[in-house]
Amino acid sequence: MVVRIRLSRFGNKHQPFYNIVVAQARTARDSKPLEVIGTFNPLPQQPTNLSNEEAKSARPYKDIALDKARASYWLGVGAQPSDSVWRILSLAGLVQPKTHTPK
Amino acid sequence: MPPRIHSQIIPNSLLSCRSSASQTSTHSSLPSPSCAPLSKLSCSRHSTPSAPHLPQQSSRSFSSTPTTQTRLRETMFQWLTTEGSELKSHIPGTTNYITDGRNRKKFGPEGLPGDSKPFPLNPHFKSERILSEELRNDIYQRVVVKKQSVRAVSTDTGVDMRRVAAVCRLVELENQWREQGKPLALPYARAVHEMVPTTKLQRDARLQRERPHEQINDLPAHRLTDAQIFYPVSESRQFTRVDAGRVFSAAPARLRGDDQGDQPWEVVRDLNLGERRIEAVGKGDGEQRVLQPADVRIPHPHLITLESERAANPDSLRDVWRAHEKRLKEGNEAEEKRKQRKQEARDRQVFRIQPKSSRFEFRIKDVVVSKETTGTDGRNAKAPGRRYGVPRSDRKKGQVKIPTHVLV
Repeated sequence: MVVRIRLSRFGNKHQPFYNIVVAQARTARDSKPLEVIGTFNPLPQQPTNLSNEEAKSARPYKDIALDKARASYWLGVGAQPSDSVWRILSLAGLVQPKTHTPK
Repeated sequence: MPPRIHSQIIPNSLLSCRSSASQTSTHSSLPSPSCAPLSKLSCSRHSTPSAPHLPQQSSRSFSSTPTTQTRLRETMFQWLTTEGSELKSHIPGTTNYITDGRNRKKFGPEGLPGDSKPFPLNPHFKSERILSEELRNDIYQRVVVKKQSVRAVSTDTGVDMRRVAAVCRLVELENQWREQGKPLALPYARAVHEMVPTTKLQRDARLQRERPHEQINDLPAHRLTDAQIFYPVSESRQFTRVDAGRVFSAAPARLRGDDQGDQPWEVVRDLNLGERRIEAVGKGDGEQRVLQPADVRIPHPHLITLESERAANPDSLRDVWRAHEKRLKEGNEAEEKRKQRKQEARDRQVFRIQPKSSRFEFRIKDVVVSKETTGTDGRNAKAPGRRYGVPRSDRKKGQVKIPTHVLV
């Protein structure tokens, strides 16, 4: 069976929050995974405590927590990231970003 | 049954509701000094303020009740013509308390500084001072434009550091509103500044220091000091505040050579520079830092040194002040360094990316998944992510979800 690195949805209605998990590909999305290696909050947060100049150029941010060492270990033993996790891992510099090829 | 005709005097209450407005106002305005404006109204209606106790036949033609409270009314009108007449129109920019007139009579036109008791019968009520517009703007100028430290401005003006920070924020907001063309409640502000006493901006810096706005070195009682501890100490031993802090935090007693005799401001500076660490006692979750003496924890520890030096060298005050400014500068630099170190530590932990293709910033925080963080069953709270098989406690009773205190 394939081991995947994927997102598992937590949080409430309209308040998504994801654990980045390592799990068997054919298990349910929110079932107990092999390991939790991080989190991803897709709701953009407004940066606070900024001066007026900083506030003009500040972007809203999305929080990611990731254990890079564990992520690269699982990639090394053949775990396959899902598309959304691939994007997160590419931001962290662990994989090459996927080039989007329109059909 | 026909209505009974009373042979007694007709009760006044029935009459008062049918009578003219002037009479009602006379009744409602009892001669207490607090309702002076109302009394003045009724006074003007009566034709002769000098002889107000004359029977008012015209307005009470149907009443056979003798006018009551004549003596009180008499004293009221007497007060209105003498002492109360000063309060009729107030001096712009000052309060108009009943006690103000007496103060002016006693202590000259300026009145007694710091004495602002609006209620003469309640001497325990003091109305607290607020910052005057000039002082407020001066604080903003010094902190924001001249880039002086909040600590130095607080010491010079005698305003709490938190209030200095709040003034800067509010004046900044006011300036923003002016730029945006939002209406400001200026008449309201003017009225408030005439209702409560204000701390004026003094031309002389020394005078400003001698008449502080509030206590700037106050310290809230630490929770560790709530306990009453019986701690026997031998008479030969010097037991200082440092030792007391150690007792309160259950730390072992100091050895004899440990006391370095440092000034409190030096301790704070070294802590900020990272050259000194506060000792920690306890293990695991129960670990806590040893309670420092109040001299170190107060907002302005350098004032202790200043006062002792001033007392020691009353002849060379200029040098004392110069040394004080130097210490203040040194302390500020140390504080800046601490802030910088903290920011660097935060930046090291969080990696920020701003991809060109996205309008968001991504903040990647490093976490550790290991046996130490997840625990043997994988349910430890230190592990990253939401936990499996552990219900969240946010729906339990007694969970406070709003912030209960503000860190300043």
